[in-house]
Amino acid sequence: MWILCISCFVRASYAAGLPDVLVVAQSLDDIVSLDPAEGFEVSSLQLFTNVYQRLVQPDRDDPAVLVPTLASAWTAGATPHSLVFTLRTDAAFANGHAVRPEDVIFSLCRAVKLNRAPVFILNELGWRADTIDASLKKIDARRVELDWSSDVGPAFVLSLLTAPVASIVDELEVTAHEANRDWGNAWLKRHSSGSGPFKVRRYIAHEALVLDANPSSPGDAPLLKTLIIKNVADAATRRLLVEVGDADIARDLGPDQIAALKGKPGLKTLRFSSATIHYLMFNAANPGNPALANPALWEAARWLIDYRGIADRLLKGEFEIHQAFLADGFPGALNDTPYHLDVTRAKAILAGAGLDRGLKIKLSVMNQPPFEDIAQSLQSTFGQAGIELELLPALAGEVYAKLRARSVEAAWLYWVPDYFDANSTASAFASNREDGTKTLAWRAGWHIPALSGATAAAVADQDATSRRGRYLAIQAAVQKSSPFVIALQARAVVVMRTGVQGYAQGLDADMAYYDRVSKR
Amino acid sequence: MNAIPAAASDEHGAPQRGGAVRAVFHGVATAMFTLAGLLVVTFGLSRLSPVDPTLQMLGDHASNSAYAEMRRTLGLDAPWPVQFERYVGRLVHGDWGISSSTGERVGDDLRRVFPATLELATLAMALCTLVGLPLAVLAAWRPRGVLDAGVRIVSLAGNSVPIYWLGLLALYLFYAHWRWLAGPGRLDDAFEYTIDLHTGSVLLDTWRSRIPGAFANALSHLLLPVLLLGAYALGNVTRLTRAALLAESAKEYVTLARAKGASDLRVLLGHVLPNAAGIIVTVLALAYANLLEGAVLIETVFAWPGLGRYLTTALFAADTPAILGGTLAIGLCFVLLNAVTDLVVRLLDPRTR
Repeated sequence: MWILCISCFVRASYAAGLPDVLVVAQSLDDIVSLDPAEGFEVSSLQLFTNVYQRLVQPDRDDPAVLVPTLASAWTAGATPHSLVFTLRTDAAFANGHAVRPEDVIFSLCRAVKLNRAPVFILNELGWRADTIDASLKKIDARRVELDWSSDVGPAFVLSLLTAPVASIVDELEVTAHEANRDWGNAWLKRHSSGSGPFKVRRYIAHEALVLDANPSSPGDAPLLKTLIIKNVADAATRRLLVEVGDADIARDLGPDQIAALKGKPGLKTLRFSSATIHYLMFNAANPGNPALANPALWEAARWLIDYRGIADRLLKGEFEIHQAFLADGFPGALNDTPYHLDVTRAKAILAGAGLDRGLKIKLSVMNQPPFEDIAQSLQSTFGQAGIELELLPALAGEVYAKLRARSVEAAWLYWVPDYFDANSTASAFASNREDGTKTLAWRAGWHIPALSGATAAAVADQDATSRRGRYLAIQAAVQKSSPFVIALQARAVVVMRTGVQGYAQGLDADMAYYDRVSKR
Repeated sequence: MNAIPAAASDEHGAPQRGGAVRAVFHGVATAMFTLAGLLVVTFGLSRLSPVDPTLQMLGDHASNSAYAEMRRTLGLDAPWPVQFERYVGRLVHGDWGISSSTGERVGDDLRRVFPATLELATLAMALCTLVGLPLAVLAAWRPRGVLDAGVRIVSLAGNSVPIYWLGLLALYLFYAHWRWLAGPGRLDDAFEYTIDLHTGSVLLDTWRSRIPGAFANALSHLLLPVLLLGAYALGNVTRLTRAALLAESAKEYVTLARAKGASDLRVLLGHVLPNAAGIIVTVLALAYANLLEGAVLIETVFAWPGLGRYLTTALFAADTPAILGGTLAIGLCFVLLNAVTDLVVRLLDPRTR
């Protein structure tokens, strides 16, 4: 009887049957806002790439190359610190409004004046709430001039303008939804007003994001009519959804789920390089444990990580070994991997520095995979050299708070570049200007006036070859001796139905492209 | 949060004039006191937490000025007592605050997620009552017999097997392997974004929509989580009801009834069951309250957008307004269930009046 009742609901998979709808299963719990001037989480950044456009964007096949997007061209402005952008004639928002210079000025102004999480990217140009108005000028109906006060060249400025925070929104639509002088922030948190290949039809926080194609998007119209991104918090459930065919794509699966799907008919697994770097940080500014400031500990630690074991066996191919702060794929990345697990050598270094007598270190780590798994591996290998690691798992917000207060002893962390330029990462790892900016080097209590100067010089360098050389040298210095032990580069693993074609994903967190996806 | 007191409130002597009014006043005052205590404790705990809500929202790349701005926006720059005063001030005007993780008003969020949990818990409770009570009666009818042993094994299994594991296994078998039932979520995507959930009950709304297949699809999505939650609650309900019936069976009036020649079944149904009704109602109310607050794991496995998952996500995001709102909502459920339970027990058992 039960079987009879149940069989009434026997069903075919849904997603596979709809050629115009793509269903993606992933966690959306990280989304704070859909406003490009505010959202700074992986899920919202990926949305911005598909819903909004910037004046220029990285080429999806070679992100080092910038391609005009809403701008058709740009030229040097009246001063060495200015650029003039010409907008495309066919540039239009999803609501039909043409993209105007006023929209560019409004979008960049509101991003700076709202002063939310990603604003620091635009602050790199010297743009502040009280100066931004004077930095943006409409020249005529299609041209807009941007100038900046920081000592950086146009190439770097263009890189910054590729960041999602520089997305262009429709001034007319957004101001119509302004409330309490909020620059339309409350409305844009849940709606979209962009010119990208998709537009937000409906957003239900922690449930789903439904996007419709925007056929008027400058560039190619998307091949699919609808994109449904479902919030499925549990990775095991995401695996079942894609296995059955109720989801076309499943993201963020764990190594076990990926292994379980290997060889299943109707599924394929794609691996994309990601710019996410995982590293161990010692806090040399912690007065409770002076050993943390000892370069001998830093050097020994480089020989106490089981890089191969973590990458290949523990995390089953989701990571690759990478030991410099610029991810492989970034111009100027240093791809040498001189370190491997060598406990004997590490013990000798520790003994030489008098650190072989029961050193104890508290290791802060975020309480989610893969951080805890990696931390346990470190605990084991450091223990072999006589260093006792006490693991302190905590929520991300707690770990960040301790880092900003410089109260951690050591932490296993990850880094994602904020925009596609070496300076995004170099200015974090190799710059401590001691001016109140809480860079990673400051958090590690690493005093490096010379290296900070070299990092500042590198960003101001306008010769691409020379600049690459500078970053190679800076990475080599950090790799050789610093409180950072850079160990792994992540790979983004995406499982999808074999009928799904055309999905592309780039190095940076926001580079997930759905506009050329089709289903067979 | 098992805060439901014993069902019987012993008021010796005959009911006095105005007793009902005093009871209502007492009930309301207790409820208010409980909720105020809950508010103070939850707020205090959220402020003692080492998690920085600002960094939880902004991440660790944010500039100092953005950090300061967000602290101001969230009201975290004021001293704790001022923050609490502001929160309570808004609350009494019906404003539960804005969730930092959804960007929505907490009241709107709760109106969206609570019906999903309510529907799940109510159906699971109905199943648990319809199956659990007869099982308990059967077990008490022939204690220590084969049937009793079977019921005890079933109830123990309901309590012992981790529901998270059971949920995944059920999904794997019935959804992924045999494909008999629908999978995670409340509806297939074909219906999910075309039917407006006015009432919040997916069964009612799909029925009203008259879209072919929608109601069956909703039922198919509900079956597994309801069965699992019902089985989970069944263990406690069966075990405690059986124990109450057996305890009542040991009393002298039961022996007298048996001595007068009444059959075991007649004694059980006609004498024991009515006298144990107060305890059974309390057991059912407790089980229902636990289902309302405790469906987190099932909601996570089945991607069910309910209160448990909302609260868990808020906790991980250090989203204080959502945590306070969710906790208060659950507290309100307990208080209301307490009141209803007290009322029903008074109606069923003259000794408690």
